[in-house]
Amino acid sequence: MSGGSVPLPVDIELGLQPDARVRRRVAFDRWLGRLLPLAFVAVLFPIIDLLYWIGSEALPTLSWTTLTTDPVGFGGGLYAPLTGTVYLVGIATAIAGTLGILAGAYTAEFASPRAALIGRLLSNLLTGTPAIVVGYFGYFALVLYTHSTFTLWAGAITLSIFMLPYVYRVTDAAFGSVPPSQREAALGAGSTRGQYLRRVALPIAFPQVLSGLFLAMAIGAGETAPLLFTAGWSITPAQGLSSPTSYLSGFIWNYFDQPSNLGHLVVLSFQAAFLLIVGVLILNVAVQLVSERYRRRLRGFFV
Amino acid sequence: MSDGGIRPGAAQDGPRSRRGAVPATRDRIPPNPFSRRTLLRGLSSPVGWIPGIFLVAIVGVLLLSSHFQNFGLGFFGPAWNPNPTDPSVATYGILYFVIGSAVTAGFALVLAMLLSLAIAISLVVFLPSPASRVLTSLTDLLAGIPSVVYGIWGYVILAPYFSKQLDPALSHALGWLPGFGGSPTEYAGGTGLILAIFILTIMVVPLTTALLRESLRAIPREQVESGLALGATRWEVLRRVQIPWARRSIPSAVLLGFGRAVGETVAVFMVIGNEVKLPTSLFSGSSTMATLMVGQFDSAFEYPDLLHALVEVALLLLAISLVVNLVGLRYFGSRGIVRVGVGP
Repeated sequence: MSGGSVPLPVDIELGLQPDARVRRRVAFDRWLGRLLPLAFVAVLFPIIDLLYWIGSEALPTLSWTTLTTDPVGFGGGLYAPLTGTVYLVGIATAIAGTLGILAGAYTAEFASPRAALIGRLLSNLLTGTPAIVVGYFGYFALVLYTHSTFTLWAGAITLSIFMLPYVYRVTDAAFGSVPPSQREAALGAGSTRGQYLRRVALPIAFPQVLSGLFLAMAIGAGETAPLLFTAGWSITPAQGLSSPTSYLSGFIWNYFDQPSNLGHLVVLSFQAAFLLIVGVLILNVAVQLVSERYRRRLRGFFV
Repeated sequence: MSDGGIRPGAAQDGPRSRRGAVPATRDRIPPNPFSRRTLLRGLSSPVGWIPGIFLVAIVGVLLLSSHFQNFGLGFFGPAWNPNPTDPSVATYGILYFVIGSAVTAGFALVLAMLLSLAIAISLVVFLPSPASRVLTSLTDLLAGIPSVVYGIWGYVILAPYFSKQLDPALSHALGWLPGFGGSPTEYAGGTGLILAIFILTIMVVPLTTALLRESLRAIPREQVESGLALGATRWEVLRRVQIPWARRSIPSAVLLGFGRAVGETVAVFMVIGNEVKLPTSLFSGSSTMATLMVGQFDSAFEYPDLLHALVEVALLLLAISLVVNLVGLRYFGSRGIVRVGVGP
């Protein structure tokens, strides 16, 4: 459907010269086709500037020791925030993955159409909930009402709530896109719906579910707002799951506007931003590769 | 929310609910939604509602945490003075924050819609298909850049540029327009409404582009091809066939984009200047509801009134985003655009 391959009507050469009106219409069309893509420049130029800047700030000073030492005094590295992010996203992915895959598979296979509609709608609304609101919820439910302090646990659970609807929707779409013939064959051969889900649908849907997990991880790794009032902040590594933790996005948030005598912290926050972008882009590319491969199968359901 | 129990008489379907007895297959039209059987079956499926249960929990916990404290009509007034030393004279009026949210999200939405309409149309109609495929992936990738990274870039790189170059130039060129008549002191730091609008625009474009693009792509091929075969140019087909076909998606994209923009917290906080006052121009510093929530929370731990006020702001923001998404999703809800975090 992309228009590049569609010949313009005037391209049909019959030895006739198109009249002025046709020529005007075609010229307008051609100019529009040249002008509208300029909007890409308006959007992509700032992004290229952003990527170039963060690369040129972070790369020259980024080294292995940056990744393996803790931030201390007037130097150090990003080991604590890096591991903090890995822990937070890891635990959150485990929670959101389990709940999201269960819920998504249930919605696709067992739920009545009406229940499925409601489930999807509520999940979509959860996606639209502002991150800071989810953060407030996490603070009240997991910090204040449990009479605890900021903990890695609370941060990971709050993050998992934020990631959950993405896993859910992708799983739902993946299981829903298994060809009906497969389902009918499995059920017709006498398997239960549980057996069908495990033995037939899961292998087919698995790559897509995996891409949903990657997507959720990418979203979770970059989030800041749900963590500020749940995971707290500590520049040193977390002393276990029940203490405040360090994380990459929090590092940027806390040190991006330090005065110049604390410039090393600013440099470290540039590097934290660089690591975040690289990690998130790798995950996103993985998502796109998987969904590109399965796009044809999913056409019409999962755009 | 889900009692899940089988009530007496649940198994007896009235004649009106016979359509509910059709086996549930995915590609069938949903049965009569008001039949008792489908209703009960819906109530007994809490597993599929796990994300929804969290949404309900969020609303419930926030409602409880606000202690339903009544700030009166002054809550929507301009006086924000959470004077913690003497709680009896403290006032909690959030008008300026509402204005800040409306201005930033509104302007960002207008710009983002213009850009993403042009981009979506280019991708679907004008660009050759390899370029279209690459650029589609690229715009989707943009949605993945974390908001805190946009924030630090805006603060470190854009703010000085805006204060030295762009703000004076805009003020010079467009000073006769209301909103652009800033004084040099106003754009001294570079942070302010206009920078927040710029950042928000870039952050919203991937979402609105994906929504518009997919709704343009959803048009049946035959409709487009028959138009082209009749001798219409691509623009004429776009205007007479594709845009009328997809026109319902435009207000939906606006609403969903607005929901995203109004809830954006971290990046906006870093670039908006965080001043509590009525903005006199687009160059002035301001605050939004979301930045208020993140900026004042630390001091609210010890002052219950301030905490309750902030929770009520959170509820207001949540209500706005729920309404906006609910209406916006009427078009996109059944086929969400989930890829790379773009979309409902």
